[in-house]
Amino acid sequence: MPLPTVALLIIVGQILLLGVDSNTVAKSLMTDSVLFIMGSLMLAVAVVKQKLDIRIAWLIVRVTGTKTTRICFGISVVSGVLASFVGEHTVAAMMLPVGITLISLTSDDPKEVRRLAAVLLFSISYGCSIAGIGTPSGGARNAIMIGYWKEFFFDPTNPETRKFLIDYITWIAYAYPVFLIQLPFVTLILNWTFKPEYQHLSRSVARLRQQIVNQGPMKPSDWLAIAIFALILVGWIFLSGEIGLGTVAIMGAAIFLIVGLVRWEEINSGVNWGVVLLYAAAISLGLQMKDTGAAQWVAESFLHLLKPLGAEEGIGLWAAVSALTTLVTNTMSNGAAVAVLGPIVLKMAIVAGENPLILGFITAISSAFAYLTVVGTPACTIVYASGYLKTTDFLVVGWRMVVMSTIIMILAATFYWPLLGG
Amino acid sequence: MAFNLNRARGEVDADTLYERRRRRFRILVCIDGSDASYDGLRFASRIGESDECDIILLYVRPIDQGMRTGGLQVRVARENMLDWGLELPGIRHLKKGLSMLAGDESLSAHWTTKTSHTDSWGDPLGDNKVEYRHENGKSIVLKLKAAPDVASGVLDQYELGPYNLIIMGEPSHWHSEARSFFGASVAQKVAMLSPCSVMVARPKGVHQNRGHLICVDGTRHSLDAMRREAVLAHHSGDSITVLCVARHQSEAATAERVLEKSVEMLSRIDIHDVGTLVRVGDPVEEIVRAGNDHSVIAVADSGKKLIRRLFTGGIAFRVMGAAETSVLNVR
Repeated sequence: MPLPTVALLIIVGQILLLGVDSNTVAKSLMTDSVLFIMGSLMLAVAVVKQKLDIRIAWLIVRVTGTKTTRICFGISVVSGVLASFVGEHTVAAMMLPVGITLISLTSDDPKEVRRLAAVLLFSISYGCSIAGIGTPSGGARNAIMIGYWKEFFFDPTNPETRKFLIDYITWIAYAYPVFLIQLPFVTLILNWTFKPEYQHLSRSVARLRQQIVNQGPMKPSDWLAIAIFALILVGWIFLSGEIGLGTVAIMGAAIFLIVGLVRWEEINSGVNWGVVLLYAAAISLGLQMKDTGAAQWVAESFLHLLKPLGAEEGIGLWAAVSALTTLVTNTMSNGAAVAVLGPIVLKMAIVAGENPLILGFITAISSAFAYLTVVGTPACTIVYASGYLKTTDFLVVGWRMVVMSTIIMILAATFYWPLLGG
Repeated sequence: MAFNLNRARGEVDADTLYERRRRRFRILVCIDGSDASYDGLRFASRIGESDECDIILLYVRPIDQGMRTGGLQVRVARENMLDWGLELPGIRHLKKGLSMLAGDESLSAHWTTKTSHTDSWGDPLGDNKVEYRHENGKSIVLKLKAAPDVASGVLDQYELGPYNLIIMGEPSHWHSEARSFFGASVAQKVAMLSPCSVMVARPKGVHQNRGHLICVDGTRHSLDAMRREAVLAHHSGDSITVLCVARHQSEAATAERVLEKSVEMLSRIDIHDVGTLVRVGDPVEEIVRAGNDHSVIAVADSGKKLIRRLFTGGIAFRVMGAAETSVLNVR
């Protein structure tokens, strides 16, 4: 059965089994979060088509030099910073040729560059993965959690609940430091795990430089693309609180189409619309779980299980929620994991007397810990498509990444987030 | 799908093409870039020297699933790679395989090239094929194929064939029949489901030419398989030993008679100097023990229908998993 069929069944099930009015179901399918997912996917195709990747590659090697460790760190930083704003799938698709070019220019024989390939490609994918939580526009899961907080806790008649309307800057304040602290650890873990065969990539960097020289200077269309993207970023930071993240994303995609930097056919073939439908249905189901009390029941049952372990509150509960999210996100996309777990975790926060913002952030951030499998995150799937990695590579390095990320997040939740009022 | 397209273009009719292929000995070699898969290719190269033999190198790429990439189709990343002048995964491995079969000079002087592309699974990068055809009619094909998983890609390719033999590299693991339902390797899945003969090539079998050990049990099925395998071994210039295992000492005399009959059958098709061997004990254990001193163990398939084979396996299937040398499951 094709996966989007599940989305169709969720819609039909809500109407026929729960007796929800079809107009209500239809409205719950198209929230700002879904508009954001749709818009960001269209933007992803548009941005990749601009071919700015070779310029980015040049920027990296100019700053880092030719030492392998420094290049890996540079790739993680650049991939991460970009992915925190435009989403990990966009950056992974852009950076993949950069990584493969550096690998193939070092040696034609994949066996000679086996560990180098792992370090370079994982620098891209894990750089992207840890960054996706940095800003609300970094991934669908963030927009979904922002939508859930608003839907579950915001009451226009109660000013106290305004703290649950998380804007762009507030999210960055909570999540961006968590991403930045993880960055150097990614390079350390990758080098420690794989120990690349080449300590310097002088030859491949020189040949990459030649390729860039052949491309010539930046064209007006390149500058136009950068300007549009900067405009979208400004819109997300300053306007998303008023008009929504989704509206800004859709507007950005429309501008790319209007100025002719991307064709509709390219967007249409580059986006899997079934995924959009699936996200919409999952969010709609999440809202129904809240309304029917199903989320409350699952939350209470889960807490009941945690009680004998002494993990029904505080750090124990945070770690349990993080572990559950990590488990789920390694088997499905991180957006879907948050869409499914979000309502349960938020209800759990109420039952346990915990701050829903803290547990919400823990769920959203833990959904990025999908380092163990190829299908865990879009970035992992994309770099795996290069053919250089084995599925076991993800396990070998992934568990170290999970431990590192979990520790940093729990430390942030304990010592840093309370300073922000969380 | 490829056949229908060709028919629409007025090219060779599918049935004609199928018949033409049936008259040749066609070997499908599965390449995944590992040393084991190139070991399989070395074996194919040795037995496929004849002009009547075609070798098809197959690399199966799992289809791109946008569902796994958060909604952005992997093709966007792939097209970006192609724009950078980078090759699709698999092409490099296939090219290495080609260089093992024919040198650059020979290719440019005596071979013609034909490329074709077929959409598959909705993936525009789909299936790609380069066919090198020698003046004498022999052909080498490089096929880059998209499929939901590697095993189904190989089996799907058989349907486009036909093929006489599928050669796979040594599998990473080989489970019992029951466990194979949950975690069979690609080679094991193909061995279970393939309609034609399957060989699992192992380094020990490929690098040391120590002849073929052909197993018979006296049934018509096994004798027929022996005859076909003996032709193959004889054609490659390899020595032949025929083995019959008696479960008990009391059956040893019967085993001797089976071997006499086997030698006589082979001499009728001008294959002489055949060694014979009788062993007493468990067939799988004895075949593996005797076979490890040979390059290839050839065992006739159980002849069971697919469903029975899935549940009960068979001697051939178990020998394939337990042997240290290459094993040919003759069907």
